[in-house]
Amino acid sequence: MTSAPTVSAAGLTLRYGRTAALDDVTLGLGEGVTGLLGPNGAGKTSLLRVLATAVPADRGAFTVLGHDPATAAGRREARRRLGYLPQNPGFHPEFTAFAFVDYVAILKELTDRGARHREVRRVLEAVDLTDVRGKRIKRLSGGMRQRVALAAALVGDPGVLLLDEPTVGLDPEQRMRFRELIADAGASRTVLLSTHQTEDVAMLCHRVIVMARGRVRFAGTPAELTAKAAGRVWIGTERDPGARAGWRTGLGTFRNVGDPPKGADLLEPTLEDGYLLVLDGEPAEVASV
Amino acid sequence: MRDDRHDGTGWHADIDDLRAYARGELRAPRLWSVDTHLVTCATCRGTLAEVSDPPALDAGWERLDAELDAPRPGFVEGLLLRIGVADHTARLLLATPVLRASWLGAVLLVLAMTVASVYTSDSPVLFLALAPLLPLAGVALSYGPALDPTHELAIVAPLHGFRLLMTRTIAVLVASLGLNGLATLALPGYGLRALAWLVPALALTATGLALTARLGPVLAPALVSGGWVALLMVTEATTHGMLAAFTGPGQGVAAAVAVLAACVLHRMRDRFDASPVPSPFTHFARRSTS
Repeated sequence: MTSAPTVSAAGLTLRYGRTAALDDVTLGLGEGVTGLLGPNGAGKTSLLRVLATAVPADRGAFTVLGHDPATAAGRREARRRLGYLPQNPGFHPEFTAFAFVDYVAILKELTDRGARHREVRRVLEAVDLTDVRGKRIKRLSGGMRQRVALAAALVGDPGVLLLDEPTVGLDPEQRMRFRELIADAGASRTVLLSTHQTEDVAMLCHRVIVMARGRVRFAGTPAELTAKAAGRVWIGTERDPGARAGWRTGLGTFRNVGDPPKGADLLEPTLEDGYLLVLDGEPAEVASV
Repeated sequence: MRDDRHDGTGWHADIDDLRAYARGELRAPRLWSVDTHLVTCATCRGTLAEVSDPPALDAGWERLDAELDAPRPGFVEGLLLRIGVADHTARLLLATPVLRASWLGAVLLVLAMTVASVYTSDSPVLFLALAPLLPLAGVALSYGPALDPTHELAIVAPLHGFRLLMTRTIAVLVASLGLNGLATLALPGYGLRALAWLVPALALTATGLALTARLGPVLAPALVSGGWVALLMVTEATTHGMLAAFTGPGQGVAAAVAVLAACVLHRMRDRFDASPVPSPFTHFARRSTS
């Protein structure tokens, strides 16, 4: 992505007691979908909460479409341009899907009743929930609730969308449907997608950031992350004790990832192989996103 | 809506209103009346079609569809709209977590028990001591993640957090003070003395909110409640049952505290917009996420 970053962050640090949830995080995001990969406790949710202006960083600064949330006026302008889907989106369960999105639209300053209702219909249609708009949220499935939360995030057509593990708990069909929606959303805006699942990144993202222990360990394209494992994946008849990761495949052979022995039978790496190697003690490598 | 057309099947919308509706120029509240009427009246829908040009008619149907999807105002919301509260403000008020039947029922139960205790003990002290705490508890519970499932979404919304807090505070105060007032009517024998809870209630609520800016939505009201109970116990012990807070000078001090706390709260209003206010409990909640 060669366009100017829509979100730029420098030196973001956030501590909870002695634990550094974010440790000097510097990054830039452009248009399209950027994947944010990392294990539990890596700092993904903390990063999204800081960028969403839900919690201030202890140190560092960032801008959203040129607006600095450190000032009251900048924060308000940034919030007008942000859509945020939290990890555990809360609902008023007695509200219908329409009423809930309508409520969020009011929080987003859409006070004109007619214009607000048109916007609510637009976003519910965008996530394919028009048919259940009158149903109470407590009667919707988990996948539908996630789509209601995504619709709420899309209200006001924000330029930056922050999605915190939106596909967790969804069955494969729902996950695929959600991926389509995220891809559509990323066609004309910046989307930062936090996820555990490397398939999400492989299928959706043009850029990927890997975090561990509050630090950015890798930033680049999915192809560059996959290339980190080039020549470092091999197949054998048993788990290689020198491998950093290894597992028995369905064919009875062992797929090993790490530093291969001489003469090893090398395999084409996947994005997950690259991710495993980046997490496993590789030196931090941060490229411009 | 002026219902000045009649054809034997009932009253119908004014033709000028329908023309303005078709052009998208009809303004609320008449717009809402026509919207509602069109849902049930085929005759007026036909008239609307006759007075509309096709693009304007399509826009009208779209607006009508949106109106059909819109949440139906309940009794309280309808009442608020009728007294002139803007529809978006009314919806914010209705989403206040503690303005639910369960919370209001619990408050009523507590008040009924306290009023009953006044009759058995022949003293209004328990009622006067407890009544100021109920608005404080209601306001405390209407802000923060404890009871508001959409707290995170509200925090990151451009609507200023202090404005949302004040909107909900006023709603909770009206409900709580109203219930307290009803309970006071059940104690006619004590005259105006039974209303001595009112100023302390405002003082405790304002102090609780001002401290929330620094201590968080759990610790601040807990400290204020504990301080209130401790104050009553100390003054009762040192003045042989005479509770200073309910005397004339005590009411004056409570009023001064209320004003001072309101000023402090206003000065700290941006703290309700920047982030969740830190407290031992919010700290724990933050730690539990990655």
